Formats: sequence, C-alpha cells, structure tokens
Amino acid sequence: MFIPSLVNGITMGSIYALMALGLSLVYGILRILDVANAGAYTLGAYVGVTVFRLTGSWWIALVAGAAVAASLGFILQRFFYVPILASGPIIPLIASIGVFTALEEAYRLIFGPYIIEFPARVPLPDIHVAGVPVRGVQLLIILVAVVVLVGTWYVLGHTRMGLAWRATAQDAEVAQAMGIDARRVTGWNFLLGYALAAVAGVLVSINYDAVYPTMGDMPAYKMLAIIVLGGLGNPLGTIAASLLIGLVETFVAAYVGFLLPRDSIAFVALIIILLVRPQGIFTRGAVAK
Amino acid sequence: MPGKGRCPVATEPLLVVSDLRVSYGRAQVLDGVRLAVGKGEFVTVVGANGAGKTTLLRAIMGLVPARGRVQVHGQDILPWPPHRRAELRIGYVPEGRRVFADLTVFENLQAGAYRLPGGRTALQARLDFVYGLFPRLAERRHQLAASLSGGEQQMLAVGRALMIDPVLLIIDEISMGLAPVVVDQLFRVFGDMHRQGVTILLVDQNAQKALAAADRGYVMETGRITMEGPAGELRNNPAVVEAYLQSL
Ligand SMILES: Nc1ncnc2c1ncn2[C@@H]1O[C@H](COP(=O)(O)OP(=O)(O)OP(=O)(O)O)[C@@H](O)[C@H]1O
Ligand SMILES: [Mg+2]
Repeated sequence: MFIPSLVNGITMGSIYALMALGLSLVYGILRILDVANAGAYTLGAYVGVTVFRLTGSWWIALVAGAAVAASLGFILQRFFYVPILASGPIIPLIASIGVFTALEEAYRLIFGPYIIEFPARVPLPDIHVAGVPVRGVQLLIILVAVVVLVGTWYVLGHTRMGLAWRATAQDAEVAQAMGIDARRVTGWNFLLGYALAAVAGVLVSINYDAVYPTMGDMPAYKMLAIIVLGGLGNPLGTIAASLLIGLVETFVAAYVGFLLPRDSIAFVALIIILLVRPQGIFTRGAVAK
Repeated sequence: MPGKGRCPVATEPLLVVSDLRVSYGRAQVLDGVRLAVGKGEFVTVVGANGAGKTTLLRAIMGLVPARGRVQVHGQDILPWPPHRRAELRIGYVPEGRRVFADLTVFENLQAGAYRLPGGRTALQARLDFVYGLFPRLAERRHQLAASLSGGEQQMLAVGRALMIDPVLLIIDEISMGLAPVVVDQLFRVFGDMHRQGVTILLVDQNAQKALAAADRGYVMETGRITMEGPAGELRNNPAVVEAYLQSL
C-alpha cells in the first residue's frame, strides 16, 4: 500500500501545486484570495475537452484550455479586481466567490449538468514502479508539474521579471517608483495564475476521465488551506504545502480511511498545523504589511 | 525681509511644480503648491507634521492623484504612470524606508537599478559605488533586508535610490528614529552627491540639518508654501526659528 499511496500522493500534490501556485501568485501581488481561480480550473477542463473532441489531440487541448483561461484571468483582473481593489480585501474576496458561482452556472448552462468524458490518450506509457502500476497520465501530471514548478522557481528567483514580481509583491508603490510597471506585472500574474489552474483542470479531467460543472468546488476550498499553510503569497512554500497535503491526504485515506472522508483531511491537517504554527509552515521572514 | 517674496532659481530649473493640488476625500492636503529646483541645486522643504511634505513628494512621484503641473526638464510628467519617472533618472527615498523586506540587500539594489541602462557593466559600477558609500551593505549583501537594523535599512533605502544614477534625488524623512551618527553619515552622502552635480529635493524632521545642508528652502504650512529663500537666511529667520528650529 505504501508505493501506490506515494504515487497517488505525489500526483495529487502536483495538481494542488499547479493550482495553488497560481492562487499564491495572485495573492502575492493583489493580496486578495481569488476563489474564482478555481473557475479557471473547470474552464480549462471544458475548453480542453471541447478542443479534444475537435482535434483528438491532448496537448492542443491543454494549450487551448490554458490560453482561454489565461484570457479570462487577464480580463477579470483588469476590469473587475483592480477597480474594486481600493475598497479593501473583503469586497474582492466576496466578489470572487460571486464570479466563481456565476462561472459554474455558466458551465452548467452551456455544457449541461452531467459528467462529460475526457478519453484522451497521453503519449506516456503505463509503467511499474517497484511492482506497482503507474499510469501514463499520472506520469504526465508529475512531469508537467515538475517542469512548471522548476520554471516558476527559476523565473522568480533568477530573472529580471521575477525580481519585478517579488518587488511588486512586497511593495507595489515603491516598486513603481523604482521603474517597475506594476500594472504589467499584475496582468502577467493573472495570465499565468489562470493558465496554471487550467492546466491542472485539463490534466485532472483526463486522469479521472470526467468534466463536470462543480469539479472546481473542492479544489477552491482546498487551495485556500494550502496557500495559508504555504505562508500566504510565498510561492515556494505553497509548492511544498501542496505536496505535503497531497501526501498526507492520500496516506491518511489509505491507512485510516475509515476515520474521515479524504477531502476533509486537508482541513484537519490545516487546523492542526495552524494551531502549532499560526504563521503557516513555510513563512520566511516577515510577510509585508 | 529675508524669506519673503520670490527668490528666483539661480540655474536653469530641473523640476518645476506649479499649482499642485491633492485632496484625500474632502480634505485638501495640497492647496496650490509651487516650487522650483534648479539644476544641481539642493532644496529642502520644512514644515510641521501633517503640513503635506510627504504628499508633495508622493505627488511628484505620481503615487497620489494630483492636479496641477510637475515639470521635469520642461516636460509635464504629472500624467505619466509612476514607473516612467525612473526613465528620467529620478531616485526616490520614501518615508519610512520601505525596503523590500523579503529581498536581499543585493536584490533591493538590483530593483533600484531596474531601469538603469547599460546592462551588467553599468549595474556593477553602481553596485560598487553604493557598496563603497555603505560598506555595511556590502558586508550584508546576501542578507534579507528585513534582518537589517533600522540604520542599515535607511542606508539601503538611500543606496537603492542611488542605483539609478540619479539626476534628481527625492528624499523623504531619513532621520526619523536614527542615531545621530547615522543621520550625519547620510547627510554627508547627500552633500557629496550634491557636489557631484546631483539635484536634491529633501524633506526632513530635522529642519536644522536640512537647512544646513541645502542651498535653498521652502516653508510649507497646511498644504501651501508660505516662505522661501536661501537656506542660510531661513535658518536665521525668527519665524522659522520659532516654528521649526527651537526644539532642536
Ligand atoms: N492616505 C491618506 N488618506 C487621508 N489623509 C491623508 C493620507 N495621507 C496623508 N493624509 C493627510 O494629509 C496631510 C498631510 O500629510 P503628509 O504625510 O503629507 O504630511 P507631512 O508633512 O509629510 O507630515 P510628517 O512631517 O508627519 O511626515 C495630513 O493631514 C495627513 O493626515
Ligand atoms: Mg512626511
């Protein structure tokens, strides 16, 4: 049971990491909890499955899902979040819950309330690790997550764009005085954050062969737990927290699954960890005022 | 009478602020401020707490909505987005230091050079310059800014503003809460910059030091300029002495 749980845990953790990273990037810049980000996860899946039916290609589906979701993110921030940002953090939070709900209703109206299959074949073979079968799609999820996460780590830590991002996240006003175009950073941020959620959505729906309007619900709540654990707005902490939650969930479900349904485990873990470390596990230094 | 009337800028003006108005809600915080800073000049604005000095500097930097005109080299920059001011080589030391706490000293300086032309060579030259001025920053270059002492953070805020190789340096309140030696060191740096031809507009609680360092000064009261003149004359002006210099 150990190896299968490990593989499942890492797969789930990779998915969470993709989504939570997007959310964390957005939080880092605008200091809002953007629940609607999970709407991009579902949007990615629907666009993906639609494009897949037209083209039969999983990767065109992935790219299309990411592109459409990125556009949604950009439009939302420019015309929706940025204008209401001055009213404090609570109003954007409530507004984002509203957007999320509206998106789900829109998916239901457009695509119907039932589960749609997503029977894409990925080019990776099913393999065996220590005698345990690992499906190709799981490998793909882990691979994509590794590439995206390493890429993000590199960009944030070692490029001019990453410096602009981190400076803006710390103090957007001073960053602007230094010549950083905070508006542009914010735009890129949402493009990337929504694209990441969509990539996760496409991969998950291939993995479970299912797309449905409310598939974003559980991730929406769970992501909040993860980014809090990761030390709000700290991308690397968020990645670590995602893997941790993916693994804890899977192992607890596998070994003592009779105690709790899988989805509540993330929250139990959150509560326990926050009781011990209220600042989250991966907080480094002071989170900016 | 010294300090009364207009004291024309000696050199060609670099920065001209005219009829600048800022309001927060219904409160008019700047009420038609005008001032000019000549090329190579060191100008200070003194005034009581809440007079609007910080607001004036923030408006010049484009960080608060304002009406009126802010001309640099004769060009009105008020409508520009804030980040474009770095193109004009304006260095800004904000009130309250505001270093990027979770970035290292080096990264803070790198951020200050974000719009510095000339690639790596130019960046390295500026780093060497700033580390030369503040060896403590050089020693701590890989430390997070959050871990620096207050004085070191202020040095970093000044160093960061110097990274753009500024033509105009705008400095808000550096002496707050700092040991006198550190304040003196920073004022010496400003004096050196001034001698090297950098134009400076400085605001500080320590009006005595500010007027001693500056060529010219303005007095600001509740959102208006009420007096201006050569810094030496303002220092001896009884009204100024009574209002801003006595407690020191
Ligand atoms: N964001 C804001 N919202 C509302 N009022 C503000 C804001 N910022 C400043 N003010 C008000 O504007 C006035 C001028 O403030 P400002 O910070 O410019 O003064 P100052 O001269 O820099 O004071 P100090 O010497 O204490 O730094 C004050 O009455 C202040 O309360
Ligand atoms: Mg002030």
